[in-house]
Amino acid sequence: MPLFEKTLYSTDFSPLAEVALDYVKKLKEAGEKEVVVVHVVDDLSIELPEGADLLNEKELYKILPEVDQEYVTSLIERLEAVKKILEDEGLNVKLYLKYGNIPKQIVEVAKQEKVRLIVMGAHGKGLLTEILLGSVSTDVIRNAECPVLIVKRREE
Amino acid sequence: MLFERVLYPFDMRKASLGVKPYVLKLKEAGCKEVHMLYVLLPSEWGFVAKEEYDSEDKIEALRGAIDDGYVDGLIRIFRRMKEIAEEFEASGIKTRIVLIPGELDETIGYYSKEYGIKLVALGITDESLSFFRVGKVLDIIKAVGSPILIVKSPEEDGAKGLE
Repeated sequence: MPLFEKTLYSTDFSPLAEVALDYVKKLKEAGEKEVVVVHVVDDLSIELPEGADLLNEKELYKILPEVDQEYVTSLIERLEAVKKILEDEGLNVKLYLKYGNIPKQIVEVAKQEKVRLIVMGAHGKGLLTEILLGSVSTDVIRNAECPVLIVKRREE
Repeated sequence: MLFERVLYPFDMRKASLGVKPYVLKLKEAGCKEVHMLYVLLPSEWGFVAKEEYDSEDKIEALRGAIDDGYVDGLIRIFRRMKEIAEEFEASGIKTRIVLIPGELDETIGYYSKEYGIKLVALGITDESLSFFRVGKVLDIIKAVGSPILIVKSPEEDGAKGLE
C-alpha cells in the first residue's frame, strides 16, 4: 500500500485539529485515498467500557444520561461535518467515536484499520509533565506502529 | 504550500534513512526543497567553530583547527549525504546539505525558523522513546514551530548505523 494511501485523522475539534485537517486534505496529492477520522471521548458523566464504540453500539447510547446523549449527538454531528469536508475533496471517509483513554484508542484504531500515517494536532504542556505523565501526542508517537504527523500551528 | 520546504535531520543511522521515502513521496504534495541537516553534537565532535558547513571546501578549511581524523569523518558524512541528495535531485527536489555544530533541538529549531521550513521529517528509533530518552524527542518537537513528521524504525543493532 502506498505510503499515504490510508491515514488516520485524530480530532478533538479544536482550532489546532482544524489546522491538521488542512494537512490531511493536502496529502490527497501524495496518494491519500481513505481517511479514518477518530474522536475519543473521555469525559462522560458515567464510566463506559474502554474502547466502547459510541457510533455503532446503539445500546450504549440508550444507557447514557440525557446530558451525555446530547453531548454524544453533538459530537456525531461534528464528525459528520468533517466527513463531508473530506468527501468533498474526493476522499473515502470512515468515522470512529470511541470512549476511553485517548492515545490508547487512537493507536488501537490505527492498528485495526492498518493506516499508514496518523495526523494530529499537538498541544503544548510542560516538559516535565509530558515526560512523567505523557501527553496524547507523545503517547501516540510512542505506541503507534506507523509514522505520526504532529501539527503545531497554522501555515503562514 | 504545506510541504514546500522540508528539513530532514540526518544522523547516518538507519532510522534517518527511513524518512527518505516519505520525503520523496511528498514531492507529489508540493515538496520542492529538502534541507538535509547533520548536527555536530559537542559530545561527539568536541568544539567546532559555529558555521554552516555546506561544502567540502568549508569542511577542509577546518584542518589545523581540529583533528584530521575528525575532518575526514565530516567529509565522509558530507559525501554520504550527497549520495542521498542526488536521489532527491533526480526526483526534482532541490536539496541543500549542511552540517552545523550545536545541540540537536536548538540547531533544528534555529534552522527551521531561519530557513522557513514547512515540515521537519525526523527518523527515530523505539529506543529514542524510552522513558529516559524521550525528552530529547520532545525537545525537538518543542523547538520547532512547524509540523513534524515522525517516522519510527525498529531498534538498531548497536549504534553504528550506516557509517
